Amino acid sequence: MNFDLSEEQQVVRDLATQVFGDLATPERVKEVEAADGFDHDLWTALAEAGLLGLCLPESNGGSGMGLVELCLIAEQQGRNVAPVPLVSTVVSAMTLADHFASEPALGSLISGVVDGSVVLAAALAEPGVNDPLSPSVQATRSGDTVRITGEKPAVPALPVADAVVVPVRFDDRPALAVIATDLDGLTIERLETTNHEPQGHLRLEVEVPVDLVTAAPAALDDLYHRMLVANCAIQLGVGEGAIAYVAEHVSTREQFGRTLSNFQAVSQRAADGYILNEALRATVLNAAWQLANRSTESARSDVLAAAYWASDGTQEVVLTAQHLHGGIGADVDYPVHRHFLWGMQMAGTLGTASSHLARLGAHVAATTA
Amino acid sequence: MDIGDSAAEAAFRTEARTWLATHATPRRGAAATGDLEAHVARAMVWQRVLHDHGWAGLSWPEQFGGRGMSSGLSSIFNEEMAGFEETTGPLTVAVGMVGPTLMAHGTPGQQEHLAAILRGDELWCQLFSEPGAGSDLATLSTRAVRDGDTWIVSGQKVWTSLAQFADYGILLARTDTDVPKHAGLTYFIVDMNDPGIEIRPLVQMTGHAHFNETFLDEVRIPHENVVGVVGDGWSIARTTLNSERSSIAGGGAGWSVEALIAAARTMGVAADPLVRQELAAAHSRALTLTAMGYRVRSAVSRGRLPGAEALAMKLGYANHWVATMDTAMRILGADGLLYALEAGEETSRDSAGAPSLGSSWQHALLNQFAIRLGGGTDEVQRNIIGELGLGLPREPSADRGVPWKDLPR
Repeated sequence: MNFDLSEEQQVVRDLATQVFGDLATPERVKEVEAADGFDHDLWTALAEAGLLGLCLPESNGGSGMGLVELCLIAEQQGRNVAPVPLVSTVVSAMTLADHFASEPALGSLISGVVDGSVVLAAALAEPGVNDPLSPSVQATRSGDTVRITGEKPAVPALPVADAVVVPVRFDDRPALAVIATDLDGLTIERLETTNHEPQGHLRLEVEVPVDLVTAAPAALDDLYHRMLVANCAIQLGVGEGAIAYVAEHVSTREQFGRTLSNFQAVSQRAADGYILNEALRATVLNAAWQLANRSTESARSDVLAAAYWASDGTQEVVLTAQHLHGGIGADVDYPVHRHFLWGMQMAGTLGTASSHLARLGAHVAATTA
Repeated sequence: MDIGDSAAEAAFRTEARTWLATHATPRRGAAATGDLEAHVARAMVWQRVLHDHGWAGLSWPEQFGGRGMSSGLSSIFNEEMAGFEETTGPLTVAVGMVGPTLMAHGTPGQQEHLAAILRGDELWCQLFSEPGAGSDLATLSTRAVRDGDTWIVSGQKVWTSLAQFADYGILLARTDTDVPKHAGLTYFIVDMNDPGIEIRPLVQMTGHAHFNETFLDEVRIPHENVVGVVGDGWSIARTTLNSERSSIAGGGAGWSVEALIAAARTMGVAADPLVRQELAAAHSRALTLTAMGYRVRSAVSRGRLPGAEALAMKLGYANHWVATMDTAMRILGADGLLYALEAGEETSRDSAGAPSLGSSWQHALLNQFAIRLGGGTDEVQRNIIGELGLGLPREPSADRGVPWKDLPR
């Protein structure tokens, strides 16, 4: 057993720390927020640094690493609350590479992700009771094409995506379809969100070639669980960044003639934030490793536990950060509020603390002897 | 990063599992201590069995009678051991705290205790806390005055675990009152049968007298029993306290979430969505602590001090204990209110005369304070985490640099 990062993984983490740290400054993030919510310059820099293709197959021009390494990158994205569709693009591409028979069917989607020219969205959220593993969009085969009809709410990155991966019900089983966003019959309604990330409501009345639908039984399960874990890594970074702001603020801000950190009601609450974050770090790395190295089935409880901690724990951390900053925390000219907005947004993405816990409860009750 | 067992680790796990299957008894529910004296005696016998079969002191260096294995391998044995009735819990001070301290700071003569500790021949207790020195341990006032080759020690200690059964104690006493509080302390080994030692058990709400008040009245300790040098007791005590923290956080809890889920099934509430939600939360806390344990273990086995992570883990473990016992009581209802104190009796009888599942959980519920307070309270941990983990400025302290004798008391 070795929980330490390998030398290669440390290089990845350091590189990601540098790229996000240098480019996703609070000033730049604010600028992008006022534009389309997608930092194209940062995206290009990530591609040039090899970070977009890092976890994709070498046959597609990637570096063949996996989910643990993606989490190290996503953590730095969260730490800097950087507005790029990293996770939806890379996790979608990883899943396509694993579950679609051939690259030709997809054109050059995956290699496009590697070089930064393609952005992918994954339409996982479901209308009503949000169970991403039971897709409501219908797919019906007719000859060499598949007709796909339905709606998907709150799809991250959809307005800036070139293609979207859509879970569908195909032959009464869950399947995945890849659909170009400029296809006739596909419409996108841009949504305003808590953290200002671009999201869209997707409506589908389309026909796609049959080889753009995969009925591989594990495809949706993989996509969902990988996305959950990668989102957890963003949340870890969001909390980490928030706590760093807290440490700085309470160590320098003085009231009653001493720094806030000298009030134990303050310092103990900050310490609780640190504890939650460190607990999440271990849990997320564990989940990523389990999912990358074992079957999705055997990693399920690790992933759900991480998702629960990330939703519940990070919300607590960003609330703490916001509270300990006093009024200044709510000022949009001061950067800590973005961590709060991201924490809240992520806590409701792909399920909530309660839904993760409910799923985990069912799993645990069914599998524990 | 590789969370799985290596080939060597997997082989060791199999070996441990096979041996335990033939020498130990699988546990049902949470551990019940029963009669304390018998519990201590069983632990010493079990330590002897471990020793005789080569399972004692796995991570201790071979020169001290250990197996010289990595801490990773010894953790694997502890993981495998967790599901069995047998425990070395009462020997935690001896094996987990005195052992590492004497290995690091003891004289060759003092290190002769190590073999006896591994054999299960010696029970040790820790004479640190005092009525006036709890969280602020360094302010303690038990005095040791030198008289030739002997130290004469007088004072009162409290919360001394298992002092009534102990053969030896580790003692922190003040040998210099003219220097600031941390500087005037010396670390001693004391023979608990010495004249002048009086032990009064403190009965806790669990029904046990795990803790004691220990009165020292002109106890004569030979100078050769000083561990390290005179006046350096605080730094040596830190070795002991760090070991205590990690043995609390890494210790066998005597209960598990799996056992709690089994209890929920027995009570017929496993399908209740609210209960299930709490079981899932407990499962996820346990999983997180396991992952944090991996990190800490990984750091230690590569020669790094885990620092704030280990403190966070101890606190997380205490929170997990508290929250899970609340869940246990909700699952067990009235059964959870029954005491189990009789020797060898795992369970009380419930109102229908059937063995109660609840009593052992109730013991764990009532024992939560030992976890939250022992080895530094939750609040003390948070203060240190603030400094170590977040880099917050040190708290101003009114007594820094002030000679102990000038402190207000």
